[in-house]
Amino acid sequence: MMNQVSLYNKIFMGGLFLLASYALIQFHNYMDGYEVAILISSIFVFSWLGFSWTNFKNFFVTIFLLSFLSIFLYKGNLLIVEESFLLKYFLSSQSAIMWMSALYPLSLIIYWVHLFNSQEFSGKLASSLVWIATTLGTAGLLIRWYESYLINIDIGHIPISNLYEVFVLFCIITALIYMYYEERIATKKLGAFILVIINVAVGFLLWYSFAKGAHEIQPLVPALQSYWMKIHVPANFIGYGAFAIAAMVSTAYLVVDKGWLTKYLPEKDILEDMTYRTIAIGFIFFTIATILGAVWAAEAWGGYWSWDPKETWALIVWLNYAAWLHLRLIKGLRGNLLAWWSIIGLFITAFCFLGVNLFLSGLHSYGEL
Amino acid sequence: MSSMRFAITMLSFVGIASIIGTILKQKQPYESYIIKFGQFWFDIFKHLDLFNVYQAVWFLIILVFLISSTSLCVIRNSPSILREYQKFQDQIREKSLRSFKHSYEIKLPVFNKLNLISLLEKNNFKVREKINSSGDLLIVAKKGSFQKLGYIFTHLAIIVISVGGILDGNLKLKTQELLGLKEIQTQDIPLSEIPRKSRLDADNFSYRANVLLSEGEKQDVGVIPSKDGYLIQELPFSVGLKDFNIEHYSSGQPKSYESDLILTSKVTGKIKEKKISVNKPLTFEGVTIYQSDFQDGGTKLNILVTDLQSNDRSQSMNAEVFKSNNLIYMDQSYSFEFEDFRLFNILDIDSSQKKNSQNVGPNFTYKIRNQSGQANEYQTYQMPMQLEGRYFFVSGMRPTPQEDYKFLKIPADGKGSLEGFFILKNLLLDKKIIESAINKVILSSSSTKEVDTDNLMLSTLKLFKTFQQGGYNAIALSIDKNIPGSEQESAANAYIKIILLVANQILLDYQDNNVSTKYFDLEDLPFFTQDALNAYSDSFFYGTPLFLELKEFEHVQASGLQLTKSPGKFWVYLGSIMLVIGIFCMIYIQEVRLWVLKKKNSKNILLTLTTNRHHLTFDKYADDIKNKLNSLSKKG
Repeated sequence: MMNQVSLYNKIFMGGLFLLASYALIQFHNYMDGYEVAILISSIFVFSWLGFSWTNFKNFFVTIFLLSFLSIFLYKGNLLIVEESFLLKYFLSSQSAIMWMSALYPLSLIIYWVHLFNSQEFSGKLASSLVWIATTLGTAGLLIRWYESYLINIDIGHIPISNLYEVFVLFCIITALIYMYYEERIATKKLGAFILVIINVAVGFLLWYSFAKGAHEIQPLVPALQSYWMKIHVPANFIGYGAFAIAAMVSTAYLVVDKGWLTKYLPEKDILEDMTYRTIAIGFIFFTIATILGAVWAAEAWGGYWSWDPKETWALIVWLNYAAWLHLRLIKGLRGNLLAWWSIIGLFITAFCFLGVNLFLSGLHSYGEL
Repeated sequence: MSSMRFAITMLSFVGIASIIGTILKQKQPYESYIIKFGQFWFDIFKHLDLFNVYQAVWFLIILVFLISSTSLCVIRNSPSILREYQKFQDQIREKSLRSFKHSYEIKLPVFNKLNLISLLEKNNFKVREKINSSGDLLIVAKKGSFQKLGYIFTHLAIIVISVGGILDGNLKLKTQELLGLKEIQTQDIPLSEIPRKSRLDADNFSYRANVLLSEGEKQDVGVIPSKDGYLIQELPFSVGLKDFNIEHYSSGQPKSYESDLILTSKVTGKIKEKKISVNKPLTFEGVTIYQSDFQDGGTKLNILVTDLQSNDRSQSMNAEVFKSNNLIYMDQSYSFEFEDFRLFNILDIDSSQKKNSQNVGPNFTYKIRNQSGQANEYQTYQMPMQLEGRYFFVSGMRPTPQEDYKFLKIPADGKGSLEGFFILKNLLLDKKIIESAINKVILSSSSTKEVDTDNLMLSTLKLFKTFQQGGYNAIALSIDKNIPGSEQESAANAYIKIILLVANQILLDYQDNNVSTKYFDLEDLPFFTQDALNAYSDSFFYGTPLFLELKEFEHVQASGLQLTKSPGKFWVYLGSIMLVIGIFCMIYIQEVRLWVLKKKNSKNILLTLTTNRHHLTFDKYADDIKNKLNSLSKKG
C-alpha cells in the first residue's frame, strides 16, 4: 500500500503536520490539553479525508492558500479592509461569504440546465461552481475566525457560535457531503434538487445579515467558552446536512416514482440507496453530536440531560431517524413511505435547528432572531 | 410487549410527551400558569402533570414500558444472534444455494483448495470447510458478523442509558413522597423551621440542588425546587463564597462568572479553597459544584426621594436590595420594596441606524406599594443616558410584570445632574416667580401692546395653574372642554408656546440671580426647558410623584451554584459509547455469507453470496468476488 501513496498525498500530509506543529509551537500557551488533542486529531482526520478524496485535498489546499493570503493582506489591522481592493471585494470574511451566497444560486440554475440537456459541460460547470462557492464559504469562515481575534484578543473564537455562522457552516457541509456522493454515484443530476435546500439556507443567511445585521462578530457568552464547541457543533451540522440531502434525494425519488423526469433522473434504486446512506451517516454524526452535547451540558449546566427544549427536540429527531432506520434495516421496508418519512424528517430536523430558537426559550438559546 | 410495534408506539408517546414538554414551558411558578391558562385549564393541566412532564408518573411509566420492551427484545433475540454469530451454515443444500440471486457457476479446470481459501481469507472472510455425505466439498465463509452484535450493542445501550437516567431521576423521592415520608415545602419559611419531612439527608445518592450565596456567606444545605415548592438537601460539607467576580469584554458583555469558594467537609474537616467558573466545575466529596447564575446579594443603596409635583424638600434614605423601606408622606404610607440592583446594563441605544450596544451603568428595581396594597414596579438608571443627542435620566414604570416598562425621561442639566430639573420644577410651582416671568414675557413681546395685559396675565396664570395640576394633558382636557373644535389646534399651539416662553424666562431669571451655579447651559436652554416640561407632564403618568434617585451604593453580589451528585452519569456515558459502537456496526459493517460448492466429479464450482441487507453496492461486491475466483483458474 505504502508505495502507492502519491507524492501529492505525501506533501499534503507533511504540510498538515508542519502546520499543526507550527500552531502548537507558536500558540500552545493559549490552548488547553483538549484543544491540543483536537489539533492533533485534525491532522489525521484531514489526512484521511484528503487521501480518500482527491477533490477534498484540492479544496483544502485552496482554502488554506486563500485564508493565508487574507491574513497576509490584513497585516493584523482590521481597518485595512477599506484600503485593500482584494480584501474589500473578495477576501474579507463578509465578501467571501457573499460570493458564496451568489455562486450557490448560480450553480442551482446550471444544475437545472444540466438536468435537461445532460451535457457534460453544464454538469462540470455546475459542480465547479459548487466547489468554488464552498471554498469561498469555508475560507470566509476561517478568515472570520482570524478577524474575530483582530477585534480583540479576548473576543476571538471559532465562528460557529451564532445562527449566522452556523448557516454558513450548514451550506458548506451540505455541499461537501453532496459533492462526495456526486462523485460516487457518477451523476450530476441530483444537484438540481440538493442545491435547493442549500439555497434556502443562503436565502435565510442573506435576509438574516441584511435585515438583522447578524454578520457582526459578537463575543462569546461564558457558557460557550469551551473546546466542546469545536466538536459538538460541526458534528451536529454534518447530521443536519446529511438529513437535508436525504430529504432532497427522497423528493427526487418521489418525482421519479410519479413517472416524472424519469428520462433525466437516476433510477429509483440509486436514489433509495443514497437516501439510506445519507441518513445513516447523518444518524451516526447526530448521535455523536447529541452525546457530546450531553457531556458538555454536564460540564457547563451541571447535568447531562435537563429536558431543555433543544435537548428534547434533538431526542425527537434522533427517535425519528432511529425508527426510519429500524424499518429499513430490520423490517426491510423500501419505497414511498420511507421517502415521505425522510422529507418529514427534514421538517422535524429544521424545527430542532431553527424552530426551537425561534419559538421556544431555554438554556440553549444562543442564536436568537 | 417485545414486539417492535409496541416499542414504536411507546417511542411515539415519548416523542409526543416531549413535544408537549417543550411547548408548555416547564417548572414555572404556578401563578404564571393560572394567569396564562385560567383556573379551569390550570387544574386540568396540573392533574395531568403537564407542568412537569418529564418527572410525571405517567411519563416514567412509559419509560419503564419502553425499557422493559427493549429488554425483552434483547433477551429474546440475543441467544439466536449469538448462535448465528458463531455458526457457519454448512447444512445448506445445492438447490437452495442456486436459488439465491448472487449465485454463479464458475469453470475451474484446476481446483486448488488452498489457493481458494487463502483468497477468501485475504478478503477478510472466515472460512470453514466440510465434506458432506456424497463426498462434495463445501467451503463456508462469512464476514462482517459484528453487524449482528451491533443489534445487541445498540439495544443494550438504550437500556444502560435509561438505567443511568433513572438512577439520577427522582424515582426515590417520588416513592418517599407517595409513602408520606417526604413532603414538598410550599411555604417560604426560615431554614431552621423547615421540618425533617422536607429535608433530604446528606447521603442521598443523587440530587441536583441550588445554593445561593452572598459574598461572605456560608451554607451547608441546598434547595431543590420541586413543583410549587421546594425541598432542602443537606450537604456533606459547607460551602462559603469568598468573592464573586464578573469579567466583562471591552464592549461590556459578560465574559466570565467566577466564584471563589471555601469548602469545609463536615466529616473530615478538610478545607478546600478553589475558584470555579462556567465550564470549569469542581468536585468535592463526590458532589460536583457548578457556577450556574448570579444575582444581587443585598446591595446597600443610598437614595434621595424627591416629589416631582411639589416643592417639598428631598429626603435621603438608606436601603438594601431584598428589603423594604417605609415612608409616610402627605399622610400616606408608602412601602418601597427593593428587588434588584445591576451594576452593568448593556442596552442597544439607537443613536443611528447601526446597532450600538453599550453599558449605560447601574440601575435598581423596586416596587412602590401604597396603603391599599397596590404596587407599581420601577426600574431606575443611576446615570443619564444619551438619547437623540441629549442626556436623560431614565426610569421605567410598569403596573404588572407582564407589561413593558413605560419610561419617564428627565433631562440632565448642564452639570449632568437632576438638580436643574428639580430647580425648574420648584420654580414652576411658585406663583410669584411665574407672575414675574409672565410680566417679563408680556413686556418684551411688542405685538401685545394693544392687548389688555391684565387679562392676559390672568389667563396665563390660569393656564399655568392647570399645567401645575396635570401637565400638558390637563391643558388638553381643558381645551377639549372650553374651546370649539376648529380652534382647538391653534389654541393648543399657542398655549404650548406660552408655557415654553415663560418657563424659559423663569430659568433665565434664575441664572441671572445665581451666576455662580452652572446648572443651565444658555445655548441648550430651550431644549432643556422643553424636555423638562415634557418630563413634568409625564410624571403624572408615572404612578407616583416620588422619584428615587440613586446617590451611592455598596455592591454586594450573590453567586448561584448548582450542586449535583449523579451516579447515573457513568452508566449514561458507558451506554452512549456502546450506542455509537453499535450503530456503527449495524450500519457500516455488512454481513456477507459465502459458499463454494465443489462437486466431486465436476469441473465447475458453485459460488453463492448472500447478505442480510441488500444494498446497491452488494451487486458490485459479488461481481468482484466472482471475478477474483475466475482469475484463479487463469493462474491455475
